[in-house]
Formats: sequence, C-alpha cells, structure tokens
Amino acid sequence: MESRFQHLFLMRTAALCVGCLLWAGAPLSLAQDADDEDELGQIISPDIERRTIKEEMIDSENFEFGAFYGLLGIEDFGTNDVVGVTMAYHITEDFFAEATYGMSRLQETSYELLSGGVQLLTDEERDLTYYNLSLGYNLFPGQIQISDKWAFNTRIYLIAGAGNTQFASKDYFTYNFGAGLRFFATDWVSFDLSMRDHVFTHELFGESKETHNLEGRIGLSLFF
Amino acid sequence: MINAVSLPLGDVCFVLHRRCLQGIGGLLFLCAALWLSPGAWADDDPQVTVNDAYINVHNGPGRGYPIFHVVERGEVITLLKSRTDWIKIKTYRGKTGWVRRRDLQFTLGPDGQPPELDDPKQEDYLTDRFELGVALGDFNGADSLTGTLGYRFTENLTAELRVAQNTGQFSDSQILAVALLHQPFPEWRISPFFSLGTGEIKTLPSATLVEPEDRNDTLIQASLGSYIHLTGRFFMRVEYTNHMILTSRNDNEEVNEWKVGFNIFF
Repeated sequence: MESRFQHLFLMRTAALCVGCLLWAGAPLSLAQDADDEDELGQIISPDIERRTIKEEMIDSENFEFGAFYGLLGIEDFGTNDVVGVTMAYHITEDFFAEATYGMSRLQETSYELLSGGVQLLTDEERDLTYYNLSLGYNLFPGQIQISDKWAFNTRIYLIAGAGNTQFASKDYFTYNFGAGLRFFATDWVSFDLSMRDHVFTHELFGESKETHNLEGRIGLSLFF
Repeated sequence: MINAVSLPLGDVCFVLHRRCLQGIGGLLFLCAALWLSPGAWADDDPQVTVNDAYINVHNGPGRGYPIFHVVERGEVITLLKSRTDWIKIKTYRGKTGWVRRRDLQFTLGPDGQPPELDDPKQEDYLTDRFELGVALGDFNGADSLTGTLGYRFTENLTAELRVAQNTGQFSDSQILAVALLHQPFPEWRISPFFSLGTGEIKTLPSATLVEPEDRNDTLIQASLGSYIHLTGRFFMRVEYTNHMILTSRNDNEEVNEWKVGFNIFF
C-alpha cells in the first residue's frame, strides 16, 4: 500500500516537474522560435531594395545617325554622285529634326563642252558641299510583308528645311523639300529611300536664276 | 549483312553530321540574335505588373501601327527601351511590342507604385535644361540660318551660344555670338523674352563687287521675341533682333533681322 502511495506521489512529482519544466521552458522555446523567425526572415527577405521604376532605368532611343548615297542633279551642271551623313532627333512620334551634310561634284555645262576651251569654274570650284537643318513629319505608318513569316515596319515621311549649298566659292541659301520611305529592318536599323528638292538662286550666268536640284538617295541609319 | 550494317552507320553519320551543322547554325543564329538585340545582354531591365483590364500592344512605335496583342491584368512585362512616346515591352511569353508611355500609369513596379516616367510638360523645362534651336530669318535682305545652344540656369535666365550664316546677293556673313536671355514669365504658354548678346561678324563680299576684302567686326545684338510651347519638349520661337555692327569705318552699321524657328529642350 505504502509503495502504491509512493508510486503515486512519485508520479505526481514527476508530472509536476515535467509540467514546471514545460512551463519554464515555454518562454525559452518561444524565444527560440522568435529567433528562428528572425534568422529565417533575414534569409528570406530580399536584399534588393524595392525600387521605384524611373525614366533613367529605361534605355531611350531617340537619336538616329545615318549615311546615304545617291544622285544629285544640279541644273546646268549635270547629275553626279552624292554622299552624306545625317543626324536626327525624334521629338515625338510624329516629328523629327534632322541635320544633313552632303558632298557632290559638278560637271561641265553644255556651253563649256560645246565651246571647246571655255571654263566657267575651276576644278576646285566644282566641288559642292551642302548642309541643312530640316523638320520631318511621319505621315503613314505601315508594313511590308515578305512571305507569310516576315513583316517589316515602314514609315512614309515629309521633310522640309533650309541650309546652305557651297560651290563656285560661294554659299547659296537653300531650301529643301522632300519625302521618303523608311524601312525598319529591326527597331534600331532602318533603310531610307528618299527624294529631295534643293532650291537655290544663283547668278553664275549673269542673271539671277532659281534652280530646282533633285536628289534621289538610299541610306542606312541606326538609332541610339 | 555488310550492307545492312553499313547503311545504318551511314545514316548515323549523316544524322550526326546534320546535327553538327544544325548546332553550328544554331550557334551562329544565337550569336547573330545576341548581337542584333543589344537588350539581350542586360537582364536588369525593369519589370512591371499590369494593373488594368488590359493594355494594347502595337507592333511599332506609333499610333498608326496595328494592335497585335494585349497584356492582361496581373501579367508581368519587361520594359526594354523607349522611343518618343512609346515603350518597347516583352511579355513573359517572349512577345515584344510597343505600348504607349502613358499606359504605364496602369502598371505597378516592384514597390507597388506606377513607374515614375517623365511626362514632358512646359514646366519641366524651367531649370537645368539644355536647349537646341534653329531659326530661319531675313537679315536685311539676306537669308539667315541660325543655330543656338542654350543652358537655362534659372527659371528666367538662359545663356546662349549663337552661330549664324547669312547668305545675301551682295555679301555673305557669319556670326558667332554669346547672349543672355531673360524670360519674365517662363510658365506662360506664349512666353516673351528679351536678350542681349555680343560677338563677331565676318563679312565676305561677293567677288563681283569692288571691295572684295573680308572684314571682321564686333557686333552687339538686342532681341525681343517669344517662345510658343507646341508639345512636350518642343517650342516655336519668333524673334526680332537688332544688330549693331561696330565697324572700323566712320559709321556703325545697323541691321534688323526677323527670325522664326523651333527649339528642343533636353
């Protein structure tokens, strides 16, 4: 009987001890849990800052640099090769500003050829350069479909501006008007097929004469 | 029997050979693709989540290009680059196209906010901005073409560098000048200004005239004009300039010039 009581007592004491231990240990283990959570938190929470997306994070491609080759007909002086470079800034989806520099050469006039020895201009004076600043307007967006797999974006544009043409040791103020078709191979490579009319007035033959000088050209340009 | 073995061997060789060629072709294609798409290297292009019913995706950066795809609410899109008012995006399926810049206000960045993109307005160009302009004009009968580079260091004041070429019947001239430009009401849509400048004018008379030597003279410019805001970073500028040319002769020369042009702010 005694042993039974002893047994019961022992059992109770053991249970109490375990209870106490559990009770005392509870905050410990809770604290442990919290620690674990902190550590886990440190591991899981992303190190990167939650950043706001700003303009600088997106690469902008509004500038365009290009080169062209074509034919330029100068009234009375024949048609010649022309090469040049262009730089454009796309202001809006509709408007762009373009600066152009071109180089060409003049041939002899019919008069010079027929008369034999007469030379109106020296060899050096037959070098022609021009520059202009123009404003372009993108008119018709479109697509060219090549087979059923390939489609390329295109744009037809109108352009007008002013600049100077230099030949015969003089500058001639020049207006230019034109239109072109731009073909985008990718977003940032485009081919250009265009026409320009360079209008200037000169007095090389004694009296003032307004000339229309047509240029047809192909170009390649890259967007930056 | 020999034939039976050699045939499959030949086939295997052929297949291997073809695989190899395909592999090389694929590699070349990959190289070309990587080279052709400058964005392919950068894996830190920002991503946003669509927060509207849908956003239209066009196949070119312009309102006239057709809509070929839509991105729906909750879809994550990568912003690749911008051109004028358009942003090139990539969908999670790898489709690329262009969305309007202003449609990005219906998306959320990693911080739960829409991207903070510039919406160029007139007020944005009031300080710390460079300005590039060209103008056509009439310089006392000669045609003039002027280029300007300006820096706006306060709301009202702009420092300006001017280069001009005037092409006339009797003489050509070139001007290089610096000027200070004051705008009393910069926030107005039509904002008047006046400016004072000084520089040098090089006159090149036509060879047909009696007095063929080139001249360099000091020049003082006083201008009155107005900026007219057109759209975004794009302004028109009309201007009247009085040029006082301080010649070495007895009389100073006075030239009046009318100009109209456009300016872009950066």
